[in-house]
Formats: sequence, structure tokens, C-alpha cells
Amino acid sequence: MTAEQYLAARLRQALAEDPRTTELGVRVTVRGDHVLLSGDVASPERRAEMEAVIHDVAPELTVLDDVKVVPSEAPVGREELR
Amino acid sequence: MIRIAAVGDVHLGEDARGRLRPALEQLGDRADVLLLAGDLTRHGTVSEARVVADEFGGLPVPVVAVLGNHDHHDDKPDEVTAVLRDAGITVLEGETATIGVDGRTLGVAGVKGFGGGFAGKCGSAFGEPEMKAFIRHTTDIADSLRIALDSLDTDVKVALTHYSPVPDTLRGEPPEIYPFLGSYLLGEAIDATETHLAVHGHAHFGNEQGMTPGGVRVRNVAQPVIRSAYTVYCVEPAVVEV
Repeated sequence: MTAEQYLAARLRQALAEDPRTTELGVRVTVRGDHVLLSGDVASPERRAEMEAVIHDVAPELTVLDDVKVVPSEAPVGREELR
Repeated sequence: MIRIAAVGDVHLGEDARGRLRPALEQLGDRADVLLLAGDLTRHGTVSEARVVADEFGGLPVPVVAVLGNHDHHDDKPDEVTAVLRDAGITVLEGETATIGVDGRTLGVAGVKGFGGGFAGKCGSAFGEPEMKAFIRHTTDIADSLRIALDSLDTDVKVALTHYSPVPDTLRGEPPEIYPFLGSYLLGEAIDATETHLAVHGHAHFGNEQGMTPGGVRVRNVAQPVIRSAYTVYCVEPAVVEV
């Protein structure tokens, strides 16, 4: 395992366990000086909170934030199970 | 035809208050029941449970829920359950709910579920006390799901869990973490009880559709998977009972 993988694991653990985030459904990928976050969260505020937690653990990293706020509209269709 | 709306992993907190409610207002035109597949809160606090109660309380259809791992994080599952029940939401853990729809009956048996893994790639109740406790938690829950499903005598039977009963709906998640996402013991309980549909959440990177080894449809309704406020499955009792 490379140092990048250990760092990614530490960041993933911080996002899961820090009370500000408790996000288990976000992917963390470290490449050099960059960390890519991807996945879905329930509100726009939670993206900013994740970036703050990442910054506390690894202030040297630049955060690339691909996280989306999960859509909350009514569904278009329905599935008929036969 | 029975119309079953479902969503899981809404992870509500004060910051997300009211996000789902506009989409839920017309639910009565689209569905006969709403199932909530756990992880309704972020940290399992009583204050977050109140947000969930406000979001899903007072809807025109019955709401039936199970809790998820996030709803246990603050070690207050009983208090969270009480807040939801006060809002008229039925919360199941080894229990059942029966709903009448146009002269037919829908039965829902619900448990949180737990991990352990899938057949041939799973943990055993062996060795350290921590490992035995982990697997026994799954075994106990799967047993209570089986008993609850077995007790239902309804036209349609649905199993509602947070953790997955099959690996099919986990595709997209790293295979290494499958043992933390579900257990084949839940699937075995579903297959043993003439159940028509299994609905779960938990796996945000999984996919919606799967099937148990016994041929029961499984749907992962985690909100990041269905990408809407809820989704609707229509089950025709006469057709599925052929």
C-alpha cells in the first residue's frame, strides 16, 4: 500500500467519524497534491463541511469536489413488477 | 394493483429540513404506502428524528419504516423510534404492518438487518467474542425477519430492511466491503417465506435491481441510487401469486 492509499484511508475515516460529516457514502481518491471527493450528500452545507474536515486532516491537499446534492424531486415513472 | 413507494438513506438533519416534503405532497395520487428503508437521520439524535417526523408525518398514505445504522449512532434507537411513532410513522424491528388496499392486503415485515457477508464469503460465529457477537447480531435479526414474514397472511408480502439481503444490488460498491453491507441470512429468510418483494437501502453506490437466489425481486432504494424523493413499485397480487 502506498502512502497515498494510507492518506485516503485516513481521510475516509475522518469523513465517516467526524461529527461534522459522518458521511460513509463519499469516495475519497488521493493523487499527489489533490484529493477527489465524489458521491452524494443530502444538502449543500454538507459539501462545505466535508472540505473543512479534509482540510483539518491534510491542509496541504487541494480538494476537488465532485460531490452532488442528491435529487429530491418526485419520480418520473414507476416500475410494474410482473 | 398495490402501489408501494419507497426511499432510504435520506440522512435528514436540520440543514436538510423540508427538502423532500414538496415531492411528498402528491404522494396520495401515486402510491398506497410509503416505506422508509433506514438511515433516516445523520447521527441518530432525537432532534434529527424530529426533522424526520416533520418530513414524513401527516402524509396521505401510511408510512412504514425501519431504522438504519446512522439512526443507531447516538445510541438512542428507542427514543428515535418513539419520536417517529408519535408522528404516526410505523417503525418495525421484527414486527409487521398490514395495510388494506382496495380489498387486498399488503403485509410488511421490517428489520434493520446487519452485515456478515454473502454465501461462501461471509463471517462465522467463531473465535473472539467480538466476532461471535457480530455474526450473532445478524443471525438474531434474520431469525426475527423470518418469523415476522412467516406470520403474515396477506395478498402481498414485502420485506423491508436497511442492510441488503443480496449482493446483486451492491454492484458499484467495492466487493471488499460487501460483508459490511448485508447478509445472505436476510435473503434466506425472504426466500423461506413466500415473500413478493424485498426493499433495502444502505448501499449508496449500489444499483437498484436485484433478485434473491429463490427468485424474489430486490430493490435498493437508497436515495443516491434512485435519485429522487422516492420511487414506486406496483405489485399485482393476482399476477405475482401465479
